[in-house]
Amino acid sequence: MAKARAIKNLDATAPVGDNARVIAKTRLEELYEWDAYVDDPYRVRELHNLRIAAKRLRYTLEIFAEALSEGSAPIIETLTQIQDELGELHDSDVMIALLRLCLGSLDSGSGYEYALAHAPQRRGKGRFDVDPTLLAHLVAPNVAPSAEQRQGLERLLHGLQERREAQYGKFRQHWYQLKAGDFRHEVLNLIETKEVDSAESKREKTEAAKAGG
Amino acid sequence: MQNHHAPVHAAIDIGSNTIHVVVARCLPDDLEILADEEELVRIGESVTATGAISPQKRDEAITTLRKYKALAEEHDANPILVVATEAIRQASNSEAFLADVQRETGLEVHLISGDVEAVLTFYGATYEFYKETKDADEPDLVGVMDLGGGSTELVIAKHRKISWRTSFSIGSGWLHDRYLSSDPPALADLAVARSFLQTYFRGIHIKRFPPTLIVTGGTANALLHLAHRAFELDTQQPLLGYDDLIRCEGLLSAEASEEIAKRYQLAAKRAKILAAGVLIIRTVMSSYQLDQIRISPHGIREGALLAYTRFGEQWLQRVEQSRDVTTPTSNEVQVDAGTDVMVQSEPFEQAGRRMLSEKARKVVEWRSDVLKHEDIEAVHKMRVASRRLRAVLDAYEPACDPRRFKKVYRSVKELADILGKARDTDVMIMNLRSQLEETPSEEQPGIQWLIDHLSDYRQQHQKKLDAFLQKFDSNSFVQQVESCLPQGGFRNGKS
Repeated sequence: MAKARAIKNLDATAPVGDNARVIAKTRLEELYEWDAYVDDPYRVRELHNLRIAAKRLRYTLEIFAEALSEGSAPIIETLTQIQDELGELHDSDVMIALLRLCLGSLDSGSGYEYALAHAPQRRGKGRFDVDPTLLAHLVAPNVAPSAEQRQGLERLLHGLQERREAQYGKFRQHWYQLKAGDFRHEVLNLIETKEVDSAESKREKTEAAKAGG
Repeated sequence: MQNHHAPVHAAIDIGSNTIHVVVARCLPDDLEILADEEELVRIGESVTATGAISPQKRDEAITTLRKYKALAEEHDANPILVVATEAIRQASNSEAFLADVQRETGLEVHLISGDVEAVLTFYGATYEFYKETKDADEPDLVGVMDLGGGSTELVIAKHRKISWRTSFSIGSGWLHDRYLSSDPPALADLAVARSFLQTYFRGIHIKRFPPTLIVTGGTANALLHLAHRAFELDTQQPLLGYDDLIRCEGLLSAEASEEIAKRYQLAAKRAKILAAGVLIIRTVMSSYQLDQIRISPHGIREGALLAYTRFGEQWLQRVEQSRDVTTPTSNEVQVDAGTDVMVQSEPFEQAGRRMLSEKARKVVEWRSDVLKHEDIEAVHKMRVASRRLRAVLDAYEPACDPRRFKKVYRSVKELADILGKARDTDVMIMNLRSQLEETPSEEQPGIQWLIDHLSDYRQQHQKKLDAFLQKFDSNSFVQQVESCLPQGGFRNGKS
């Protein structure tokens, strides 16, 4: 995924909370830029990007947790769940891609192997990156699986595809539940709320009251 | 004390940094110190490095203990109480060490728990204060802070009985090593360390902090000595005001530690970590609104002598029974001492410098664990630390020097990528292994084939990772990250 978007109009001398709100809002927008791909189960790259965007928002909320208003914990938990669901999906996608490439190379010889090994490096719609070194390691002729092993791999691939379908279904259902509950607005609300009675301001108020007699 | 019939006892404390002996004529509430010596053996150094007490440290400790036994015998001290604390508790070969000491010196060493250590330190640090304070003036609550090299113990006592204690893994040596390595400490480093401490202690909410805080430990006593000499304070008063500490900090940041040590007759090693000690004490004082602290030269050894005099041969059992220490989650105190805390009012740029420094240090903390190959979770943790660092870099990109930022970002990404390959393969292998147990037998040969080849690939990748991390210079990495956001260097937006 591309680098996180750089934030403009930050104020060095302003309290950290003011800037944290600007940063978190940008990360929230970045997350929802991938919403359009949620209904397409095979936009594996975009779903992976959605996961990274969720992770970035989560880290931002964690880093600035004390500077934002209270109540970030349930939102962070939800983001972690989304990240985990998409993480499992991603793990399955990587393994499925590897197995397909691996089994395909057994059928089609070195030309096919070459094409497959280089295909993941070309970035395009729905295409998925597989570590070329790992792939090269698995398709090396001297390590080719026996017929029995190959049969096991075919079954494994089949099982993974079924599992992947279930994982995608689970994630999508959760995403739509969040949409129905207006999760985006909930996060925005957390980000934009200025904590008026933070421990610090309470302390300042107490000290001011003391000073004023 | 004017009681020449009082018995003479000796107490030796084997600590992380020093072995310390005190010989005294003892009454239940008073001591007349006849001898007081310490040797900087630094057993903790070898325990930190290898997990065990090295043969060299063992020999040094035994030589020192023989010398102290002879010193105690010169004063006809009986018994000679010997206690060992944190470093020995942590050492993997502590049993063998204690057996060696007993065999070669005839001294029986008591390996005491953290709770017992707290009680003895409290007895030792407070006995002079209670003796000097009239009953009517005696405060209900008294705090004792034992500022050590690797950690700080904080004890609160109500009506002379410990009601709460906690330990922070922050000590003067630790803070110096992590934040203040230049000599004299750079102003920017001091600012980052101060900011870190302020944030750390803001997370520790103590509803009612005692108005009297007695601070003990070698660094606190060296600071008192420095303040007495440098600012000509009344040497009869073991007191340090907040302003005195500000002056100490100014002095320590203006002169190299060697010069300070020479000018004020301090041990060079001690002088080096004094600035860190000042910062810790000042932060505690400002966090809990204290104008003044009292320094005590006494601690665990004097506490052991008092306990023995009060309770006799059963002194340790009685101390263990008498401890009435609540955990930090009591109603009076809420501890939330994570370092990832800040307050809304902290300026953005300052918070950024602090966070970049902390996150970079967290990344490099995992380097040695990854190289040990003992736990695959170390790779995961280092990768997560690198991601958190990237999240802070992403947030602060507009504020950073673009050239330095680009270089650092590339380094962090390179590290994250190489760790990512290792971790992703580990996850695949773990998933397949758990699947293997539940899978039908005809599928198993395929899964096993994949596990074998992924494991083989993972081992090859580990060599690359090792080579990468061997070349990885942790100090330079942290410095690079820290230099990304120079003070006053905010370049985008309003500054």
